[in-house]
Amino acid sequence: MRDRILARVRSALADREVVAHPGAFPGPLHAGPVIEAFTDRFRAVGGEVERFAGMDEALDWLEGFASAFAGVAAGADVPAELATKLPTVPARDAPLGVSMARYAAADTGSLVLDSKGGRLPQLLPPTHLVWVRADAVMATLDEALEAGRGDLPAVLALHSGPSRSADIGRVIVTGVHGPGRVVVGIVD
Amino acid sequence: MDVHSRDYAARARAILRDEPHVREAVIGATVAFDQHRERAYGEVDSDAWRAWASDVKSHALTNLADYLEEAESRLTENGVVVHWAETAADVHSVLEAVAADHGVRKVVKGKSMLSEELGVNDALERQGIEVVETDLGEYVIQLFGEPPSHIVGPAIHRSLEDIQELFHRVHGTPPHATPEDLAAAARVALREAFLTADMGITGGNFLVAETGTLALIENEGNIRLATSAPKVHVALVGIEKVIARWSDLAGMLQLTSRAATGQAVGTFVSMIHGPRRDGEPDGPEAVHVILVDNGRTGMLADEATWEALKCVRCGACLNVCPVYRQTGGHAYGWVYSGPIGAVLAPALLGLDEGGALPFASTLCGACTEVCPVRIPLHDMLLTWRRRTVEAGKAPATEGLLLSAYAAAAKRPALFRLGAAGLQLLPMAVTRRLPFLKSWLAVHGDLPWSKPSFLRRWKAGPK
Ligand code: SF4
Repeated sequence: MRDRILARVRSALADREVVAHPGAFPGPLHAGPVIEAFTDRFRAVGGEVERFAGMDEALDWLEGFASAFAGVAAGADVPAELATKLPTVPARDAPLGVSMARYAAADTGSLVLDSKGGRLPQLLPPTHLVWVRADAVMATLDEALEAGRGDLPAVLALHSGPSRSADIGRVIVTGVHGPGRVVVGIVD
Repeated sequence: MDVHSRDYAARARAILRDEPHVREAVIGATVAFDQHRERAYGEVDSDAWRAWASDVKSHALTNLADYLEEAESRLTENGVVVHWAETAADVHSVLEAVAADHGVRKVVKGKSMLSEELGVNDALERQGIEVVETDLGEYVIQLFGEPPSHIVGPAIHRSLEDIQELFHRVHGTPPHATPEDLAAAARVALREAFLTADMGITGGNFLVAETGTLALIENEGNIRLATSAPKVHVALVGIEKVIARWSDLAGMLQLTSRAATGQAVGTFVSMIHGPRRDGEPDGPEAVHVILVDNGRTGMLADEATWEALKCVRCGACLNVCPVYRQTGGHAYGWVYSGPIGAVLAPALLGLDEGGALPFASTLCGACTEVCPVRIPLHDMLLTWRRRTVEAGKAPATEGLLLSAYAAAAKRPALFRLGAAGLQLLPMAVTRRLPFLKSWLAVHGDLPWSKPSFLRRWKAGPK
């Protein structure tokens, strides 16, 4: 079967002129501060962004933020110092999921998440808190994927805001399957 | 799947006559999609992006055998099991074998047009496997027992009222539940399905030869869940989905999203490199990719229409098409509708079944203007018309669209709505007015061309 398909492809292309690869994506022209651009994009699609000057500030905020939740499912790649004091529960029961992004991309407002720490905390809880280091926020998705290419996990995923659908009556509804609330914590 | 493309004219008439609300719903949705696309194109150098994307796809297609082999090697190294399928029946047997191996009883599906083309749901159900569509729009039409009517918005022909009534019956939601409440009811039912299914089935937007990456774009998170929670993931991928390089991906993802919904990128993108690895806490234990031909190699050999294989299934050509807007996708009688459906139908179904669809067009060229990969759709429609006529298989009524419009013109309110939709065509279309004018001159005495309608065409978009 395989060989028959490939043979048909080769014979279909026998007289076809080969089109050269066009090279790099012309991409969006990027200007301005990267973290602000990411923040604007992410907020525009209904996401939340918090920025912290350092770990202490982040931890102070985290204490207040976490107090609204009864339990947490955290990805294995979340640094120990950013752990909440909440009881750990399975992702399917957790009101809050926490993960660590490898990168973020400003032009598309995307978080680049990795399967290494676990996928379900990124998907099942209704609220998803994602940490990202300020120096991991890149200007473009092109750059973020380029940075990731050396170490491609089982899944590299982009999350660019809360889960949404407009399939019912053309009204945008959030939190359809994935998290309806996504909070990004950018730590310098 | 069942195919009824040869009955286009009768189906179009029946929809216009019996289901006038479909037209209203489809025009509303497609005009909105198209406005979002137009704004999103305007934010970037869309001409440069589209020229680049067209070449990325043409490069991959003109080197397809090599890139398929490269993709197969990388996928295999990544731990993915690769299958090849020439026909729908081949795909069914692979699915049957994989399902039997893993003791699969329940499948959750992500939206995949290819799976509709191949009739996968029926085949699985015949084996006694429960199949649950998880994209909200697909879930709605599965409950209605209908095929999708649009590549991106499968349920756009259904109004809020239709879905309220359906969910009231199926889920016991209040008769006037809000979209939020309806989505919440679906979420509960589908969450249960994700957590109890043994297999997830998806399509694929792109397959990167260099890295063996399977890339999927979506907005709801159902594809991420379907590829993460069950123990097996099977992806159905047309051989034309291959692109050469990892560095092609960022641009293709963005342009496809802008063309489809106007988003900078879809809310979720999965870039899959095989099953759960050692040390990873979750994910499927097996990932299978089925590389599907099902007529594509025949298209590739056709000098006049091979470029239609560049299609990224964004739906932009449907949204802008004045003929698609009249009836929605069901009139076309198979999975692909609108201009791209009319180009694919004769190629994949043959002239007898698919030859009618290229006549369902005004040849206004709006589709070609918006296509993100610059497929010359209206040239291809002309090619297929010519071939159909030469083969003596042209549809009996001259210009099938005519009969559809004649029916529409008898309903003034609807007709105005359609005309308002037409007005929103991009500026570029009005440059092609001379062609339309001559067509109208010949057919000017027919009941569909109200004077006000013609005036609007001549005046161009406001
Ligand atoms: S033909 Fe072009 S515009 Fe139409 S769905 Fe395909 S890529 Fe989109």
